[in-house]
Amino acid sequence: MRLRAWLPRGYAFTVIGIAVGVAGLVSLGAMAERIMRFIDGGDRFVLGQISVAGEGMGMGTGFTAGGLLSAAKIAAIAAVPGVSGVQAQVMLPLNTSTSHFLTLTQELIMGLDLSVPIPNRHYRELPVAAGRSLKAGDHRVTVLGADFAASRHLGVGGTVALGGQDFTVAGILHKTFTAPDRFALVPIEDARELWLRRDPLLVQAFGAASLRRGDLNTGAAVGWRDGLDPDALARRIQATVPGLNVTIPGELSQLLRQSTAFFSALLLGIGALGLLIGGLSLANTVTAAVFERLRDFGIKRALGATDLDLLAEVLGEGLRVSLWGGAAGVLLAVAIGRVVDSRLVRDGQQLFLFSPRLLAFALAFSVALGALAAGYATLRIARLSPAEAIRRGT
Amino acid sequence: MPVLTGVDLEIARGEFVVVAGPSGSGKTTLLNLLGLLEPPDSGEIWLGGERVSPAGRRAQARVRGASIGYVFQSFLLLPGLTALDNVLLAARYVRRDQTQARRDALVLLERMQVVHRKDHYPTQLSGGEQQRVAYCRAVLNRPPLILADEPTGNLDDLHARTILSELRAAAAERHAAVLLVTHRTEAHAGADRVLHLSGGRLAVRAPASAA
Repeated sequence: MRLRAWLPRGYAFTVIGIAVGVAGLVSLGAMAERIMRFIDGGDRFVLGQISVAGEGMGMGTGFTAGGLLSAAKIAAIAAVPGVSGVQAQVMLPLNTSTSHFLTLTQELIMGLDLSVPIPNRHYRELPVAAGRSLKAGDHRVTVLGADFAASRHLGVGGTVALGGQDFTVAGILHKTFTAPDRFALVPIEDARELWLRRDPLLVQAFGAASLRRGDLNTGAAVGWRDGLDPDALARRIQATVPGLNVTIPGELSQLLRQSTAFFSALLLGIGALGLLIGGLSLANTVTAAVFERLRDFGIKRALGATDLDLLAEVLGEGLRVSLWGGAAGVLLAVAIGRVVDSRLVRDGQQLFLFSPRLLAFALAFSVALGALAAGYATLRIARLSPAEAIRRGT
Repeated sequence: MPVLTGVDLEIARGEFVVVAGPSGSGKTTLLNLLGLLEPPDSGEIWLGGERVSPAGRRAQARVRGASIGYVFQSFLLLPGLTALDNVLLAARYVRRDQTQARRDALVLLERMQVVHRKDHYPTQLSGGEQQRVAYCRAVLNRPPLILADEPTGNLDDLHARTILSELRAAAAERHAAVLLVTHRTEAHAGADRVLHLSGGRLAVRAPASAA
C-alpha cells in the first residue's frame, strides 16, 4: 500500500501540530513518571524492612541516622520473636560536606554484612546489570548504583576512590530510579574501615578497646516472618531492646508520602496540564483540519455521500493523522528527553522516564481524542446543507 | 423575503431547458433546490415519479449520487485528487463497480479531450480543462437529470461551446433532462424552453428558434 494511502495528502502541518501537542504531553508525563518511580521505589524499600539504628546522634545517615548499633543489640533484636533476620549495615555519606547532607538523593557508601541475606522483602537482591554482586570474602570491592557509575563513567573492572581508598568495581546495579542508584555497596568490614578513618572520636573510643569491630554499625535492616504485621513487630523490638531508634515501616511510609505530598500534587498538576495542553492542541488541530475541508465535504455530499460515508472518511483520516502525529510526538519527546538526560547523567541525574505504559497511553490518547474531535467536527458539518457547506468553505 | 415564489416547474427527459435572469433573481437557488443541495421552506420536488423532497437525508444522498449530475460554475474539483480520481468520486458513493467506473471515466475524459491530463491535480489544469473534468464527473453515472449552473462562466468561447455542445448531446442522445443556467445567448437558440427568473418568479419564454 502506498504511503499516501496511510497519510492523506495535505495533512503535513496537521501532523506536525498534533506531534507538538503529544510531545508536550509525553514529556510532562515522563517527568511525572520519573518522580513517581522515585517516590514509589522509596516507599517499597521502606515498607520492605524495619530499619533500626542506635539511639542518639552519629555518623550514620539515611535510614540508619542515629548512634552506634552494637553487636549485642543486633543479637538482641534477632532474638525478638517474629524476627526472621537482621543484617548489620554501615551507611556513610560519600561526601560529608553540608550540601550533600541536604540533598534528597545523596550519594552513600553502604556497607553490608554479607554473611546475612538482605532482609528487605521487596529487595531480596539488588539486581546487577553488569558484573556481579558482592560476595563473602570480598575486600576493597564495590558494586555501584547505576547513576553513581554513570556520573563517573565507571564500568566493571574500573577503580573508584571511596573515602580515600581505591575500590575495584565488581558490578553495576540495574537502574532502580530510587536511592540505590546513588549507592556504592561495599563489604561491611571495608565500610567500618572507612568510618574509622573518617571519625577521629570513633578511633579514640575504638582505640580505648571499649568497642569491637562488630560493634561498628550505623544500623541494621530487620526482616519479619511471613504473616506478621511489621509495624507491630517494630514496636515489639522497640519495647524489648532498649537504646534503639526503630522506624515503624507504616509510619515512615506515611511520613515519606507526606513529605513528598508536594511532589504528588505537582505530579497531578503536571499530568493534568499535560493532558489539557496536549489534548486541546490535538483536538483543535484535528477539528481545524476537518473544518478546513468544509468545501470538500459539501462537494462529496453533492455527489451522494451520506452522513455515514463522511463520518467514516473523516474518522479514517482523523485516525491516520492522529496516529502519525501521535507517533511523531512520542518520538520527538523521547529524542528531546534523551538529549536532556544525556547531559544530566554527568551529575547522576535523570529527568525523564519514558515507560511503555506512558507511550502506549499517549498513542491511544491521541488516536481516541483525534477520533472524537473528527467525529465532533463531522457532526457539525453534517448539519449544513451541501450548498451551505460549499459556500462556507469557499 | 423568499428567494423563489410560486415555482411550478416540470422538465421531461430529453428536454434541454435554459434558465436566464438578472443577478440575484434566484437561478442558483433554483438549481440548488432541484439538486437537493438545499432544502426548500415549502413545496415538493419529484424526480422520476419519486418524491425526493421532503425526504430522508439518506434517500436524498442516494438520489444526488445516482440521479443528479451537477456542473458548478467554479468547477469545484477536490484539490487533493487527480483529474481521474475527481471523476471517479461520483462512482464512490453510489457503490458502482470501480473497474467499470474507471473505464467509463477514461472514455469520458477521452471524449472531452483531457485524458492526457488524468493524473494531474486541479491546480495543474487550466480553467477549461477543469470544467471538462467537472463535466465528466457530473455525467459519469449517466444521471437522468443534469443541472449546470453557469458552467461556461469562467471559460473562453471555445471551451464554452464544447461544454454547451456536450450538454445538448446529453439531452438529445442520452435523454437526460438538462437544466442550464447561463447568460450566453447562444445557448438559448438550442433550448427546448427558456425560463426567465425575475424577482423569484418563473416565467416561460419561447426559445429563440421558436420566436
